[in-house]
Amino acid sequence: MELLCLGLNHRTAPVEVRERFAVSTPQLGAAASNLASLADATEGVVISTCNRTEFYLAANDAQQALILLESRLTQRENLDAKASSHFYRKVKSEAAVHLCRVVSGLDSMMLGETEIFGQVKQAYQAALAAGTTGCVLNRLFQRAFGVGKKVRTETSIQEGSTSVGNVAVDLAEKIFGHLKDSEVMILGAGEMSRITAQSLVSRGARSIFVSNRSFDRAEELAREMGGHAVRFDDWQRVLERVDVVISSTGAPHALIHRADVEKVRRARKFRPLFFIDIAVPRDIHPDVADIEEVYLYDIDTLEGLANEARARRQLQIEHCERIIDAELAKLNLPGT
Amino acid sequence: MDRWFLLIATLLAAIGGIWGMVSVHRGTRSHWTVVWMVAVLLCQLGFLTIRGQLRESCPLQDIGEILVFLAWSLTLFYLLIGPAYRISLLGVFSAPLVFVLQGAALISGMLTASPTRELSPNLFHSAHSATSVLAYGALGLAGVAGIMFLVLDHQLKEHHLKSGLFRNLPPAHELLVSLERLLWLGTGLLTVGVIAGFLMPRTAPVHSHLLVALAVWAGYAGLLAIKTLRGLTGRKLALSAVAMFILSLVVFARI
Repeated sequence: MELLCLGLNHRTAPVEVRERFAVSTPQLGAAASNLASLADATEGVVISTCNRTEFYLAANDAQQALILLESRLTQRENLDAKASSHFYRKVKSEAAVHLCRVVSGLDSMMLGETEIFGQVKQAYQAALAAGTTGCVLNRLFQRAFGVGKKVRTETSIQEGSTSVGNVAVDLAEKIFGHLKDSEVMILGAGEMSRITAQSLVSRGARSIFVSNRSFDRAEELAREMGGHAVRFDDWQRVLERVDVVISSTGAPHALIHRADVEKVRRARKFRPLFFIDIAVPRDIHPDVADIEEVYLYDIDTLEGLANEARARRQLQIEHCERIIDAELAKLNLPGT
Repeated sequence: MDRWFLLIATLLAAIGGIWGMVSVHRGTRSHWTVVWMVAVLLCQLGFLTIRGQLRESCPLQDIGEILVFLAWSLTLFYLLIGPAYRISLLGVFSAPLVFVLQGAALISGMLTASPTRELSPNLFHSAHSATSVLAYGALGLAGVAGIMFLVLDHQLKEHHLKSGLFRNLPPAHELLVSLERLLWLGTGLLTVGVIAGFLMPRTAPVHSHLLVALAVWAGYAGLLAIKTLRGLTGRKLALSAVAMFILSLVVFARI
């Protein structure tokens, strides 16, 4: 019995190809049954996320099964022979190493991300429930989950935030702890501020106020985020109560000056205030950072922190791969 | 035997502090800090029990005993507050202070070599000594939380976010909440201590030690009043807690 993997991901295929092979979560079990019914195959698991679709098989002849699977997939999707250039093929131990890399987040678009672990687990559970796993794939996946956990606990592959939004949210948590008591104001209804505010809401921020020169746009974004729209002339009044301000207006000069914050300090009882300035040119004058209870971060600082985290994760890859090799060498996995 | 307990407690505090600092430097959390501090507390209790039995009263009769009682109080409040607020790093910061206090108590002459039984222990005197030293333990720990906040505040303001210490420090808000609660607890205990002090029998109408204690109490009460009524920046609150604890040690100089 031989192990094989056929797949395509964000590096090998554009989204218009990936979406044709995507399998929705409820269909994962049926897709695994379909896969295992392939001539010569005995076991099958299908993994499908927004960045990858992978087919894991146990078959008597790996090369033969690969050809069969590839032709079935391209026929099903009415793709020409060129489509096969998007696929990667792994057999025996290569397939086992690849799955461990996927589970550990080493093959992800955002290196070290943790969501993939749950997604692979979900795909395996679906195949298990559909009865399409046996001694080869059961041992492989269980081993891969163990290796994935070891990689994440023994290395810093998942440490630090690698996006501006997540860096901002981590900083907010470092200042305020749980965000459930924190209120957020967005100045300027741009895409970046929306993403950052959404990250704060997803971590429990209590309420969101949106202020924009166009009140209609503010109302629209406020509705989308379950917050309140504030007229642009009124943002200073709201500054008295909020804990986090995300600013990304298109103003050609600084919008928030030291005097604006000084005015509300007493009313705020000198509580900490976190400014996230993601506008270029900057919306918040750098002098604001001189106020004792103010923490001011601009786009360059946040980008710099995200880049540092990405670089730190890159440095961990070799260490992670050593763990994967060592762990797989300990066992004689069937099919490899 | 009492000195052995004190010596072991001091060594354990030193090891706990160094262990914690090395862990923080490596960027990992020292889960053993709490265990070390529990061991420190047990040894301190051993010391205080023996001294209490010899004195047949509260073991607060010489400067050495007061310093150990203060270190015990600091350790006790850390163990009550630290794990509850997930601020285990407080132990790493408290351990050096415990080490210094106990180290000072071990200096020759600080502890009476042969403690004698107190002939007529007075209830108010014992209450004054015990609650006051307990209060200083809470206020000392507030000072430690204040130092932790000042470190974190500096790192956040200056964008120095790479160190292991930054990753391990609890959120600024949690530190300020703990600091404020410790100030309330310490000031409350100090209130009882000062009242008991005025009720205990005295040789002079107004004892200078009590006047200093009263000034310390007024300082802390004023700080809390300002924080509650007007508000105070985290940095000012933390700096005040640290400065006032250092100044309040004058009380011990007046004993």
